[in-house]
Amino acid sequence: MKYESQKIAQNFYTFAVVLFLVQVLVGIIAALQFIWPDFFPLKFNIIRDLHINALVVWLLMGLMGATYYVVPEESQSELWSIPLAKFQFWATVVAITAVVLGYIWMGFDPQANKYIAGTLLLNEGREYIEAPRWADWLIALSVILFLINNFMTMYKSKRWTGIQGTLLGGLTFLALMYLPGMFYTKSMVKDQYWWWWVIHLWVEGAWEVIAGALLAFMLMKVTNVERHVVERWMYVEVALVLFTGILGTGHHYYWIGTPEYWLWVGGIFSALEPIPLLVMVWDAFRTTRTHRVVSNRLGLFYATSHAIFNFVGAGLWGVIHTLPQVNKWTHGTQITTAHGHLAFYGAYVLLVMSMIYITLPLIRGAENFNTSRGYRSFWWMTISMIFIVLTLTGAGMVQTYMERLVGLDYVTVKANYNLWFWIFRAIFGLGFLYGVTLFVIDFFKLGREPVEAVATEPSETTV
Amino acid sequence: MSNRGIRNLFIFGSLFFFAIFVALTVDTMKKVDKRVPEITEEVDAGKKLWHKYDCIGCHTILGNGSYFAPDLTKITVNKPEGYLEKFLVNPRKVKPSAAMPVLGITPDEAKKLVAFLDWVSKVDTNGWPPKPVLAKYSMPQVPGVTVYEKYNCKACHMISGVGGTSGPDLTHVASRRSDPEWHKQHIRDPQSVVPDSAMPPFPQMSEEELNQLVDYLITLK
Ligand code: HEM
Ligand SMILES: [Fe+2]
Repeated sequence: MKYESQKIAQNFYTFAVVLFLVQVLVGIIAALQFIWPDFFPLKFNIIRDLHINALVVWLLMGLMGATYYVVPEESQSELWSIPLAKFQFWATVVAITAVVLGYIWMGFDPQANKYIAGTLLLNEGREYIEAPRWADWLIALSVILFLINNFMTMYKSKRWTGIQGTLLGGLTFLALMYLPGMFYTKSMVKDQYWWWWVIHLWVEGAWEVIAGALLAFMLMKVTNVERHVVERWMYVEVALVLFTGILGTGHHYYWIGTPEYWLWVGGIFSALEPIPLLVMVWDAFRTTRTHRVVSNRLGLFYATSHAIFNFVGAGLWGVIHTLPQVNKWTHGTQITTAHGHLAFYGAYVLLVMSMIYITLPLIRGAENFNTSRGYRSFWWMTISMIFIVLTLTGAGMVQTYMERLVGLDYVTVKANYNLWFWIFRAIFGLGFLYGVTLFVIDFFKLGREPVEAVATEPSETTV
Repeated sequence: MSNRGIRNLFIFGSLFFFAIFVALTVDTMKKVDKRVPEITEEVDAGKKLWHKYDCIGCHTILGNGSYFAPDLTKITVNKPEGYLEKFLVNPRKVKPSAAMPVLGITPDEAKKLVAFLDWVSKVDTNGWPPKPVLAKYSMPQVPGVTVYEKYNCKACHMISGVGGTSGPDLTHVASRRSDPEWHKQHIRDPQSVVPDSAMPPFPQMSEEELNQLVDYLITLK
C-alpha cells in the first residue's frame, strides 16, 4: 500500500464481510423453511428479502472498498477527500441498518408497510430492489458521493489509466441503471420490463465490466505482467460483455407480455454472453503461466477461481436455459435458482474475496500472511456451493418434468418429489456456512496473528 | 490494433448496442398496451396491494420472483366464484393444507388483488406457461376421462397430482364415496347433497356422459 487513504477500503470490507455472514445465516433459515414453512417467527418472504438484499449490498460494499483501493494506486495520489469517503460509508451503514429493521418490523406486522405520499414505507415489494424509495434516494446519494470522490481523485492527478477508467465507467453505468427501478408503473408488464433493466444490466452489464477491470488490476498486482497487455485483453472482455449483454436483456422479455421479436433478439445475443467470460478464464491462465513471478499465491488462486466460476455459473448455467425453446419450460423453476446461486458466487462473491485477499495484506502491511485458512475456506465454500447448485438443478429438472410437462401441481411437486433435494441443500448450506465462518475469522485475524502461525504454511506448497 | 483503438471500439460499440436497445424499448412501450387488457382503477389498486404485501417474496408472477410458492400468472383462470377472495383473507380456512400466512388482507383488498391477478392472467405472454404436453399419458384411456376433461373438472380438482386445488383431491374419492347414485346426484346438483358446496351444478351433462364419468370416479380407490 502506497497511500494512506487506501485504508478506507477496510471499513467497506468489514461491513461487507459481516453482511456476508448475515446473508448465509438467513439463507439457511430460508432453506429450512422449504422443509418446515412455519418453524421461524419471520415468514419466508422477509427471510428471502434479507438474504438477497444482504447479498447485493455486501457485494456493492466490497466493490466500493476495492475501488477506494484501486483508484489512488492507479492515479498515484491520495484520495480526493477522506472525510467524504468516511461520511459516505457511515451514511450507507445507517441507511442499510434502517432498511433491515424495516423488513423485520414488517415481518411481524405486515400492515406497517403503509403507503405514504404514494410510496411504501418499509418495502417496495419488488424483488432485489425491495428497499423503499426513501432508502433508494439515500443509496443513490451515497453512490454519487462515492463516484465524485473517485472521479476527482483521477481528475486532479491527470493520470488516466485504462483500468481505472473502465472501473469507474462500470460503476457509473451501475449507478445509472439503478434509476429505472425508481418509478411506479401501473402496468405489471412495464414494471417487469424496467425492473430487468436494473437486474440484468447490473449483473450481466455493469458488474461484469467492473469484474473485467478488477481482474486486470489483480493480475497486474500479483504477477509482473505488463500493463498494456492486461489492459488490451480487458478491453476485449468488457467490449464483448456489453455487445452481447445489453441486447441479451431480451432473454427476460420472452414471456412477460412483450412483443415476440424479443425471442430472437434475446435468444441470439444472450447465447453469446459466455464468450467474454471464457476469454477472462483464458486471460487468467495465460497470465499465470507466462509470468512466474507471483507475489500473492492465495490472491491469484482466488482471482483465477473467480474467472473459472464466473464462466461456469453465469456462462454455462446461464446458457443452458437461455434459449426460448428451453426457457419456455424452465422459466420460473428451480433451474433459475441454481443458476442464480452459482453465478453470484462465482462472478461476484469470489471477485470481492479475491480483491480482499490481494489488497488487505497490503493494507495491513502483512505481505507474508498465513494462507492456510484462506484455502480451507475456499474449499469448504466452493465444494458446498457446487453441491447446493447440483441439488437445486436436480430439483429444477424434476420440477420442469413433473409440473411443466406432466402438469402436476406446484405444491405436490415441491412437497413430495423434491423433498430430498431441500434436505440436502440445507445440509450443504451448513458446509457453506462453515466456509464463510472460516473466511470471516481469517478476515479479522489476517496480519494480526503471531509470527509463528505465519511460519508454517502447509497449503502454500500444495498449490 | 492499438489499445486506444480497442478502447474506442469498446466505448462506441457499447453505445451503438445501447442505442439499439433504447430503440427497441421505445417500440416495446408502444406495443405492450395492446397486448394487455385495460388497466382499471381496481386493477391498479390491486397492483399496489401486491407490492404492499410483498407477494413476490414467495410467489412468481409472469415467471419472475421468488420460487417458494406457486406462480400466479394464471391463478384466476377457472376458479370458482369468490374462492380466491376468501382464500386471500384466511388461506387455511378455505384450504387447510395451505402454507400461506394470514397477512391481514381485508375482503375489500382481496377483491382488488383478484382484479389485478385477473388482469395479469389475460396478458399476451407468447404462450407461456405452456400446456403440459405429457399430461394425457398420466390418465387411463376410458370414456369417463374424456368427460372429466370435457367439463374441465381438473380446473378445481386434482387426481394423482394433476389439477387444481380449489376443490377436494379426487385421487381416492371412491374410498370416501363409493355409491354411484350419490355421485350422480352430486354432479347434477352439488348443493342438494353438500349444502354449502362451492361446486357449480352440471345440468348440461348428458345421461350417458354422467354414467361414464361416475363409472370412472368409482374406480378411484
Ligand atoms: C454474473 C452474471 C450473472 C448473474 C449474477 C446472474 C444471476 C441471475 C439471477 C439471480 C437470476 C434470477 C432472477 C430472478 O430471481 O428472477 C437470473 C436469471 C437468468 N439468467 Fe442470469 N446471471 C448472470 C449471467 C447470466 C448469463 C451470462 C446468462 C446467459 C448466458 C444468464 C441467463 C439467465 C436466464 C435465461 C435467466 C432467467 C431464468 C428464468 O427464465 O427464470 N445469466 N440470473
Ligand atoms: Fe439476464
